[in-house]
Amino acid sequence: MKKKRLLSLGLLLVLVLSTILAACSSDKKDDATGNKDSGDSKKEKILVFGRGGDSVSLDPITVTDGESFKVTQNVFETLINFGEQDTKLQPNLATKWEASEDGLTYTFELQEGVKFHDGTDFNAEAVVKNFERWMSGDAEKFPYFASMFGGFKGDKEAVIKEVKADGDYKVVITLNRAQAPFLKNLAMSPFGIASPTAFEKEGDKFGDNPVGTGPFKFVSWKRNDSVTIEKNKDYWKEGLPKLDKVIFRSIPDNSARLNALNTGEIDLADGIIPSDAASIQSNSKLQIFERPSMNVGYLGLTVTRPPFDNVKVRQAVNHAIDKQAIIDAFFEGKAEIAKNPMPSVIEGYNDDVKGYDYNPEKAKALLKEAGYDGKQIELWAMPVPRPYMPDGQKVAEAIQKNLADVGMKSKIVSYEWATYLDKAAKGEADAFLLGWTGDNGDADNFLYTLLDESNIGSNNYTFFKNKETHKLLLEAQTETDEAKRNELYKKAQVILAEEAPWVPLAHSTPLLAGKADIVDFKPHPTGSDILSKIDFK
Amino acid sequence: MSQMAPNLPSNVEAQQEKSSGPWKEAWRSFKKNKIALVGAIIVAFFIILALFGPLIAPQGINEQQLSERLKAPSTDHWFGTDDFGRDIFSRIVHGARLSLMVGFLSVIGSVVIGSALGIIAGYYGRFIDAIISRIFDILLAFPSILLAIAIVSVLGPSLTNALIAIAIINIPNFGRLIRSKVLSIKQEEYIIAAKAIGMSDFRLLFAHILPNSMTPVIVQGTLAIATAIIEAAALGFLGLGAQAPQPEWGKMLSDARVYLVNAPWTMIFPGLAIMLTVLGFNLMGDGLRDALDPKMKN
Repeated sequence: MKKKRLLSLGLLLVLVLSTILAACSSDKKDDATGNKDSGDSKKEKILVFGRGGDSVSLDPITVTDGESFKVTQNVFETLINFGEQDTKLQPNLATKWEASEDGLTYTFELQEGVKFHDGTDFNAEAVVKNFERWMSGDAEKFPYFASMFGGFKGDKEAVIKEVKADGDYKVVITLNRAQAPFLKNLAMSPFGIASPTAFEKEGDKFGDNPVGTGPFKFVSWKRNDSVTIEKNKDYWKEGLPKLDKVIFRSIPDNSARLNALNTGEIDLADGIIPSDAASIQSNSKLQIFERPSMNVGYLGLTVTRPPFDNVKVRQAVNHAIDKQAIIDAFFEGKAEIAKNPMPSVIEGYNDDVKGYDYNPEKAKALLKEAGYDGKQIELWAMPVPRPYMPDGQKVAEAIQKNLADVGMKSKIVSYEWATYLDKAAKGEADAFLLGWTGDNGDADNFLYTLLDESNIGSNNYTFFKNKETHKLLLEAQTETDEAKRNELYKKAQVILAEEAPWVPLAHSTPLLAGKADIVDFKPHPTGSDILSKIDFK
Repeated sequence: MSQMAPNLPSNVEAQQEKSSGPWKEAWRSFKKNKIALVGAIIVAFFIILALFGPLIAPQGINEQQLSERLKAPSTDHWFGTDDFGRDIFSRIVHGARLSLMVGFLSVIGSVVIGSALGIIAGYYGRFIDAIISRIFDILLAFPSILLAIAIVSVLGPSLTNALIAIAIINIPNFGRLIRSKVLSIKQEEYIIAAKAIGMSDFRLLFAHILPNSMTPVIVQGTLAIATAIIEAAALGFLGLGAQAPQPEWGKMLSDARVYLVNAPWTMIFPGLAIMLTVLGFNLMGDGLRDALDPKMKN
């Protein structure tokens, strides 16, 4: 009896203790994530970046979405970098590069004295190991590698033949066929160089514990809540980064995110809806940042699913949607009407393509001609605000009405973001809203990545297939003469407009808002910002 | 004392007058309750809106006119327009039908299933009672809205599924009510007598016990409609109930919250509509309780 009492007393003690301990640990956390103004003696500079969605994975090579790159861009570095606010090539981990006359061999000289966050040396061997890892994967594992470099080891259309180290700080990449945007491709966020020690050890789990050479080190990831990264004290670029810590918080609701910015819970917010811009500008505590536009928002029509397997139905939908009204209402005019699958700032844009005017009567006639049976379609709307479309749900409702006007019934469907992308990539949607922010400023990154048959299963969500465009796009990849190359893209855009796998909707100017004391923040057109230079006044 | 005496005969008279049936009696006492009458009038008003909505509303539910978006209330649009340029007044009138439908049907559903389970539990007792009562306990252990969210996420978001979810979460309330009522009626002499002359269980249950345990259900039901309307609105607000472009009030609120500062009318009117219907049902339910519950009489 006495023993029992003692036991229960002991248990009680443990319970009380654990409660106290739990309370302590949460206190500590509060301090760590606390406001930078809290008068900490060290004055830690913490930037809380509020964004619309969580990352899918933090291993950049396994993903294609912007939210993932937003974080990995700061943990990993690519061999070549883009300019501060453009897509001109700049040295990064590679200090110099040289292409052979035939465009089949590239030699890179690497930065010396760089270490990964886990202490592993960055050298030619590490680069080779990264390429080996990528090249021995498959489209399921590394979708973006497949899109950008034609395929994997042994694939017929693979661009990269082999990657070899030449000494400690020189890498030679040999190609199977010349690829005009090869260097631009290498500069893209997914091709950040990862620590070989870490990915060999972690395998598929590398995305939960990423290790790169970037200005920030990965600290923690609470799914659907926040990703925390901290200053890499041994960063090889002198004096950078300026911040001690960056916390990426996902707040899917636009107004909740703006509210969080107003209350000081976050310092920087993306996905600002244009209608809120005026009130932010009039607030002296806040400032607006405009991201240079390089995107397209579109309604994809899955060509393998009826009724969109019929080109007439797809054209009809193009005529049915009142793009201007949608842009005026839900982009507040902060967007251009889209008629091609890529924005006009990209070389090779075809301005001669007429595009489809808003014409419900013509749409009805086309539907009739196509023998559309009145079957209800599923209209997928993005659950999260995207830079190319601040409010997918509202745009979907407007489109739903446009379609109803021409006699096409639709049901709006939405899934959680990662599921949405996954299902759409498998071709499960009839019509879906989506968009794309260019990752390297090249036409190839729009037309080939999004609409070529080689990318069915990765980024070609409409399953569109066309022999002519396939030929043109592959030819453009190897064509090194700029003028000829642009001509090929222009031709492809004519066919794409005719075949209408998409309804291109808008090219938007994405807005961000931040506290007034933020300095040196220059949003990058690709949507992935390197936050090493950003600072507080 | 001396004052009481003259009053006595008139009281007796009044009671004789009233003894023309329990329902009439209840109506009389309900009529006297001014607040309850106001509730009944509000409810009647919304029922009329629900029945004749399409005739009253100047526009359909989804007549978008993007150029007319977020216009303040005016003579053209009494309640203003929403972010799609749709007439809010029309949408609220159409929405009355959805809200009342969810309110009535879900309560009818839970009353039917709850009563059936409650009667069986109360009448047969023993382990059947134990099983049914434990199921009720389990259902009641969840916060109701959480349970509704769970049910809707299994069934998929739609107004019908929201209705089903609300019906399910209300089952234990009615079940328990009936069960306790049955437990007490079971002991009444007329039931024992009926049993003694060999009346079948089925007839006993549905001809005698059920009708006699209905009054608290009516009261509870009226109040439950109010709760059901709020729950449907809450699910709509969370995106788990009505789907676009259905003009459900909760959904309208949720769509409008972005415009709280710029266009408050998009929130005020659907909010008022929810508040008024719920108030109406609550006032009416309170009045009914006073009228139907013999214990409340002096």
